[in-house]
Amino acid sequence: MATDRELKEIGHDEFDPVGTLTLITVYFLILVGMWVLTYFVEFLGNGPTVVG
Amino acid sequence: MNVHTYEKIWLVASLFLIVGFIATVVYGAAGAGIAMVDASGGTVDSTSLSENERFGEPGVERVGDGEYEVTVVARQFMYQPDPIRVPADSRVTFYVTSADVIHGFQVVGTNVNTMVIPGQVAKITVDFDEPAEYGIICNEYCGQGHHDMEGKLVVVPEDEYGGDDA
Repeated sequence: MATDRELKEIGHDEFDPVGTLTLITVYFLILVGMWVLTYFVEFLGNGPTVVG
Repeated sequence: MNVHTYEKIWLVASLFLIVGFIATVVYGAAGAGIAMVDASGGTVDSTSLSENERFGEPGVERVGDGEYEVTVVARQFMYQPDPIRVPADSRVTFYVTSADVIHGFQVVGTNVNTMVIPGQVAKITVDFDEPAEYGIICNEYCGQGHHDMEGKLVVVPEDEYGGDDA
């Protein structure tokens, strides 16, 4: 049996998906970490390199 | 326009990422001096390499103080010369071409890597600071002996380097 629920209206900035923000932040940090690892560690650290 | 705070954060972070990607590649080219293999090596008649001034005699040549030129001919399924010997603390320019089909020229474990195309000369300059021994492999499938196609590059200590033919 369906019960009546109380509906609460919130404003635009009151919507606060902290979980989503945390998840995206973690993805973002992984992305930055992988870029640093592939470019600075694996590529630039992989000398000798073609210089001319 | 009403943009949510989290969306603003995300937009700024995405822009930071794009600018960061471009900035690191610019740093690699301008700061760290990473170069791409380009067409500056020119072309050569791959059917008559033995008559070519440079490729007639593959080998190592000293062209200046600490500067060497290495002429390499790749063919099924070997590199000439093999091994290549250069001294440490030197700047080496490789001129690589193929006598038959497309090959690869990769100094294993490093960023020194180019395609070797018949008719084209791949010109790449590399600084070798420390003595080391590297393998060279072909990383373009070039025929039934492709998996056996390898060479050796030996960077010997400066005082042990006996000259071009040593």
